[in-house]
Parts: sequence; structure tokens; C-alpha cells
Amino acid sequence: MSCGMQSNSTMLKYLDFWVAIGLLAALLSFFFCILYSVMRWNKGFEEKHGDYKAEIQWEREEIELIERLP
Amino acid sequence: MVYLIVFVSIYLLITIYLSYLGYRRTVTVSDYLLAGRQVHPLVMAMGYVSTAISTSAIIGFGGISGVYGLSLLWLTFLNIFVGVWVAYVLFGKRTRKMGKALDAHTFPELLGRRYESRFIQGFSGLVILFFMPMYASAVLIAVSRFVEVYLKIPFASALLGFSLISACYVLWGGLKGIFYTSVFQGAIMIVVMIILGISTYVLAGGPTEAHRSLSMLTPAVPEALREMGHRGFASMPAFGSPIWWYVVTTMIMGVGIGVLGQPQLSVRFMTVKSDQEIHRSIPFAAFFYLSITGLAFLVGALTNVIFHNHFGRLALDVAGGNIDKIIPLYVDHFYPPWFVALFLVTLMAAAISTNSAQFHSLGTALSRDFFEQALMRGRSVAETTIVTRIGIVFGIFATLILGLVLPEGIVAIATAFFFGLCGATFIPSYLFGLYWRKATKAAARASMLSGFASSLTWMLFFHEQESKAIGLCKALAGRDTLAPLPWKMIDPQVIALPLAFAVFVLVALMTEPVSEETVRKAFKHI
Repeated sequence: MSCGMQSNSTMLKYLDFWVAIGLLAALLSFFFCILYSVMRWNKGFEEKHGDYKAEIQWEREEIELIERLP
Repeated sequence: MVYLIVFVSIYLLITIYLSYLGYRRTVTVSDYLLAGRQVHPLVMAMGYVSTAISTSAIIGFGGISGVYGLSLLWLTFLNIFVGVWVAYVLFGKRTRKMGKALDAHTFPELLGRRYESRFIQGFSGLVILFFMPMYASAVLIAVSRFVEVYLKIPFASALLGFSLISACYVLWGGLKGIFYTSVFQGAIMIVVMIILGISTYVLAGGPTEAHRSLSMLTPAVPEALREMGHRGFASMPAFGSPIWWYVVTTMIMGVGIGVLGQPQLSVRFMTVKSDQEIHRSIPFAAFFYLSITGLAFLVGALTNVIFHNHFGRLALDVAGGNIDKIIPLYVDHFYPPWFVALFLVTLMAAAISTNSAQFHSLGTALSRDFFEQALMRGRSVAETTIVTRIGIVFGIFATLILGLVLPEGIVAIATAFFFGLCGATFIPSYLFGLYWRKATKAAARASMLSGFASSLTWMLFFHEQESKAIGLCKALAGRDTLAPLPWKMIDPQVIALPLAFAVFVLVALMTEPVSEETVRKAFKHI
């Protein structure tokens, strides 16, 4: 672990401070996305047991729209 | 050449099969619907990202990174945080629910129905119709530059040839299977970009040596660039310098924020079945952005190390000043023939997946949004099918002509132009429409018109990059731009987007919200 961190810091030491922050921000936002997703992995499914009418109507029209495409 | 024929044939066969699969699925709609389709989160993320990331990101922005260095990594941060988390969580979930509740099928239709305004839908459709070809041409130019380098043929021939392939694909059924093919295309892009990224670091001597070599190249940066604020490929440009304003406001913020107002991406959320799919696809989308754009920008900057080690010259010099040729020349020079052919297929996949979504949006913008709503006052007529085709053919021709007349090194600039324009025009009305029950029709109209007009005005008279190229300012005022430094380097979106937000809030506070029934319907599932 410490060896990995050392190699990362060696990699980053040649980058200017703001570029290194940009790289870290990109990596941190990626990990944040994973964390957010894991915490909500099973949430947001319940509505599928609810009212399908609007969804079916929407899908029908969507298919019609797709059928009009070349 | 043999590799190219083999890879292209395999690619086309799989794409045709997937298009057929997509078509078959759409004709068996009843079973499909009632079974309660659940799209795998990996599939949803890959479809979304392959539409969002195109050859423009790899060739255009990779080339920009080859000139301005690793400061572009901030764009990867915005790609992930704004382009995935904000887009999926803050915009996507409500777009899905509101789109279904209002029975909206296109992005302009969502805005039009939310604000009870045919004008908004028609106007949005026209903005897409007239300006999206600029972005579509950037996508085509990027792949054509690679073909030019790889096959050693004139750029115009490469552009015409690839436009023909793209047109055949779009006009002969490609759009029906768009969802399935874009997943396949996304998968190719990710695998090849990971190979390219790892091999580039290996060629440059490993991560530490690569970064060390990159930082050592600072003295080699041309004097002209240094005077404008370039401080080396491993550094941000000098704060407040012309290059800093250009890289930060146009290349990073223009695209990083403007992505939220992209019609062909927003519409994808409406096809999702539940919030759960959105939650689960977020990490995949973030990974794809990280691996495709992150690696493209790292590779772009590192091409300087590799070109310098082999030829003693920087990437821009090797490319003869054409930013869009940096990545094609790098791949063509340093990779085995099979990989070069595979990379070309990757670019084809990236271009076709994005072009398909663009031409789809162009067709429906003309037929459903402008023709049916603005002209026919909401009446659905049989002619809509032919109008859709006219929209697509118009889009293809406009894209081709722009591709032939636009100058060299234009890919990232044209992309940033379209993202910025859409951002300033659509984002305030879109965001307030999703969140503010008291948002008004007048506010949305005023915000869209002011965002659009101020963006265009800034481009024509103040932002030197466009005003110089267009020449209207020179013709009327005798100089390239009316603005001094740093204003002439500041991207139009930085001016137009806050203005459009302010106009929206001010007008909304003074006017009546849309009818209670529409608000109730729009927020029914929220």
C-alpha cells in the first residue's frame, strides 16, 4: 500500500500543482460516482410496481416515432 | 490494408446484425413493454457515453492536449462530475419522470410541453437543425483526418468517403437499432483507448519517466506560445494569460458544462425505465469517461515526449500546425499496422454512434419539433415521415459542406462552439423546468432567446477565435474583435449562460407560471 502511494506521489511530483489537483479531482469524482451508486444500488425500483399506463403510452408513441425514421 | 478490410468487415457485420436486432425488438413492442424491460446498467452507460464521446474527444481534444498539455485533465473531471453525476442525478432522474408524464419524446418537446409553448419547441428544434451540423462536421473531420494520414489520400476524399458510409448507415436503417449499435461501438472505444493509453506510457518509459520527460520539455515550448502563457505540458497555463482563458473557459468549461444542454444526450434519460437503472449505470459511465477522455488527454500530451525522443520535434511541429493531425500521426508512426487499422475502426465506431444520434435529433427537430408543432400547430400528419427524412438529408449535406469549408485544427473548436451555444440557450430553462414549479413560459422564452442571442453576438464581435474567422466584425468595425484582452479570449458561454439564468429568474418573478394542471402533470412522479 505504502509502496503504491509512493509510486503515485513520484508520478505526480513532475506535474504542476493544479494539473495534479485536476488529475486527483477526476479520480475522486470517479470514486464518488461509485460510492453514490453503491449507496443507492437497490433504490428507485419501487415505481415499476406502480402506474404503467403513462409509460406504456409513452413507449407506444416512441416506437411510432422510431418507425418513422429511415 | 488487409487488417483494415478484415476489421471493417467484422465491425460492419456485427453492426448490421445489431441494427436488425434493434429493428426486430421495436416491432414486437407489446411483449417487450409488458415484460417490463430492464436495461442492464452497463448497456445504458455504454450507450450514453458512446453518444457523448466521439472522435472529437479523441482526435480534437487529444490534439488540444498535445498543444496545451495536461491542463485538459480538468475537462475529464468535469466530464465525470458534471457529465455523469450532475447529468444523471440532478437532470436525468427528473427528465425521465417528467418526460414520461408529459409524453415528451424529444428534448425540445420536453421544454415545449413543460412551458406550454409551441414557440419554445419550434425554436429549440431550429437551433438544433441549424447548429448541430457544426458538431456533426467536427466528428466527421476528426475521423477523416485519420483516414487522410493512414491511407495517404487527400482530406476531401477521406471526408467524402466517410460521409458516404455514414449517410448509408443512417439512411438505410441504422437509426432504428441505434441503442444496440451504440453499445457495441462504446465497447470497442473503451478497449482500444485502454490499449492506447497503456502502450503510450510504456513507449514513454513508464508513468514516472513519462511525466518527468514531459516536464523536461518545457524549454522546448515555442516562444510564441510561452508569451501567451504556456508554461509547459505538465503545467496549467499562467493564470489570467490568454491561453489560460482559452483553455479554461472554452475547452474545459465550454464542453464540461455545455454537455448538460445537449439534446441528443438528454433524450436518452427518457428511455430509461427506473431510477434504479440510472443509479446503477453511474459508475460505468464514470469509468468510461475516465478511461476514454482521461486517456485521450494523457496520450495527447505524451505524444510530445515520444515525438521529441524520436524526431527531436514537438507534436504540433510534426503535425505541421494542424492540431487534428497530432493523434493520427502518432498512432500511424508508432503502432503496428493491425493496431492502426483497429484504431481507425474505433474512430469509425465513435463517429457513427455520435453521428447517428445527431442525425436522429436533426430529423426529429425538423419534423416533430418545428414542422408538427410550430408550423402545423400540433397536428400530426402523414407527411411527418418525409419531413424527418428531409431533416436527416439536410443534416448530412450541411455536415459535409461544413466539413469541406472549415479550416484546419477545427475539431475541438467546433465541438466547444456547439456545446457552448446549447448550454447558454437551453440549460436555464431546462434546469428551472425540472425544479421550479413557478417557472414561467415568458421566462423560458426570454432566457432562451437572450442566451442564444448573447452567445452569437459574443462570437461575432467579441470572442476573437470566431469573430476573426467569420469576419463580420472586421467588415463593420474594421478590426477582428471589439474586445480587449482578456475579454476577447473569454468563451461566449461564460457571458451568455449567467445572463440567461439572470433573465430567467427576473422574468419569472414578474410573470405568471404555466397552468396548474400542466405543473401538476409535469411533477406527477417527482
